[in-house]
Amino acid sequence: MKTLRTVLLAAAVIGLGATTALASGGGSMGSGGAGSGGVSNMPGNSGPQYDPAAEYAKAVSAFKAKQYRDAARAAQHVTDAVPKSPDAWRLLGAAKAGDNDWKAARRAYERAVKLAPDEITGHAGLGMALANLKDPKAQDELTWLKAKAQTCADACPDAANLKAMSVMVEGAMTPAATAATPKPSASLSGPMLFGGPMAGEGAYVTAVSLINQKRYDEALASLAGAQAKFGLHPDILTYEGYAWRKKGDYARAEQFYRQALALDPAHIGAIEYYGELKVATGDLGGAKKLLARLDGLCTYGCADAEELRRWIALGHEPQ
Amino acid sequence: MRWAPADVDPVATFARAPTECLRLPAEARAALSVEVGRAAFRTPVLLGGQAARAGVACETCHKAGRSNPTFLFPGVSGAPGTADVTDSLFSTHRGDGIDNPKPIPDLSGPKAKLKIAQAPADHKLEPFIHGLVTEEFDGPEPAPAVLDGLAAYVRALSPAACPKAASQPVTVAYLLADARRAVRAAQGEMALGDAPTAVLMLASARTRLGLIDERYADPGLAALRAQLRAADHRLAEAQDAVRAHSPSIGADLAAWLAASHPLEARLAAREPASLFNPALLTQAARRRLPG
Repeated sequence: MKTLRTVLLAAAVIGLGATTALASGGGSMGSGGAGSGGVSNMPGNSGPQYDPAAEYAKAVSAFKAKQYRDAARAAQHVTDAVPKSPDAWRLLGAAKAGDNDWKAARRAYERAVKLAPDEITGHAGLGMALANLKDPKAQDELTWLKAKAQTCADACPDAANLKAMSVMVEGAMTPAATAATPKPSASLSGPMLFGGPMAGEGAYVTAVSLINQKRYDEALASLAGAQAKFGLHPDILTYEGYAWRKKGDYARAEQFYRQALALDPAHIGAIEYYGELKVATGDLGGAKKLLARLDGLCTYGCADAEELRRWIALGHEPQ
Repeated sequence: MRWAPADVDPVATFARAPTECLRLPAEARAALSVEVGRAAFRTPVLLGGQAARAGVACETCHKAGRSNPTFLFPGVSGAPGTADVTDSLFSTHRGDGIDNPKPIPDLSGPKAKLKIAQAPADHKLEPFIHGLVTEEFDGPEPAPAVLDGLAAYVRALSPAACPKAASQPVTVAYLLADARRAVRAAQGEMALGDAPTAVLMLASARTRLGLIDERYADPGLAALRAQLRAADHRLAEAQDAVRAHSPSIGADLAAWLAASHPLEARLAAREPASLFNPALLTQAARRRLPG
């Protein structure tokens, strides 16, 4: 029983990596929505107490070693530093669940779901937590997962994950049936995510190529693979934002840019692309502030600043 | 150092550069065009997409207008000295989904060995370069004078113009001389009323200053780095002035050129303590992080 639950939890965490970029974000970020400001609206420059990227990697590593308390501690540092990151809350939720602290897991997953209402792993984790707390609201999460699976049929990239997670939550709701419940499919245990040392880097390079081919959904999946390897890295978050912008979801794109800048306020790519988003949403003032910031950062000049300058001069994306 | 194999000889690769096989035309306007191309060739700002953002310029693959046998870019190169220019990592236009890196050609080699005919009457070189800039590297549309200049520069490279020495030391003087040439090209283009080209020339000069800065990374050289950055800031201001068609730009650039000589002297005085010193460069190269 314990072994099975660990497998399911691992699936939740790995699913976090596998599906994060496809579905994370989407919720309200509170202050600082699109067009609401430029540099002054960004997270502070004082820097977090912990390095969130390093803590994220530490949490994943501890989770894999089944050291759930250590994983939770590191994940808590990530949520402290990047409180609007649904990835961080999902990781914390999984770690707390691993430690059998289902109340804390529920709280973390609730935050994740609030931040990213369309993300399936958050709902699955919340469903698992509620089921283990014998809270009837678990049924709501199961219903959500099944409805999502029905809408998706077998056509969407998350089809297999949705089916497996529905089974997982259902199994937790009816413990007697658990022994007969099939384990999550092998695809959820994702060798891509925790593979060799080159797995994350390869996934990142692949993602950039896919973006250039305008295959944004596949790029997001590949970026999720890179994120599982590297953790919350500003380069990855920046490209997640870029892909969402290209898909037309400006609000979600902004979330990713802001997360990237929370990790690294001087991230040149994130500032450039955030500035381009500002132009796309008609906030030229915000874009100009970001350009000024780029000009300050790009000692000896950079192509990023010149590209944003072109956007601003034209008032739209250069053709 | 970013795009070379870990086991490369640091002195041969980074402390020395190939000599340039360039013959400048005697006629002033033609010479200016070659200088424009030469400067554009040396700045990532000419290009776009991932290449430019990673700091890649034409010169990265074609050092001093030649080839680069040690070029190694993850995902783009096969063996060192090769590049797949139809890889989607660099291009939104020309990705062919095939991993087919090719040897980087020597632009200063025999013209007959090059893929594209360079005779002006053939009208092939300019469209080829245009495609390279805007499609292979996703760059913005180059100003006409820049495109003409790049073609003129490539045409002016020739085996017959190669100096006897195959390579020369990379020094402060070497890089600052390039920066001055770019600034003079900017002056020439301003005189012709071509602000966009002048801005790019100044970008090229700034790139050269950056290459000096990275070799003065030692904390004991902080004061010199600050002077370099001040010189760069003046060029950035000059770019703004060019964009705004400020009448003071001519005097500003002349003043910058004049100030560059004492700056060079101060930098040169501490050059032995910088990574222009081959011994220190070798030590630093040995400290490279793996991977």
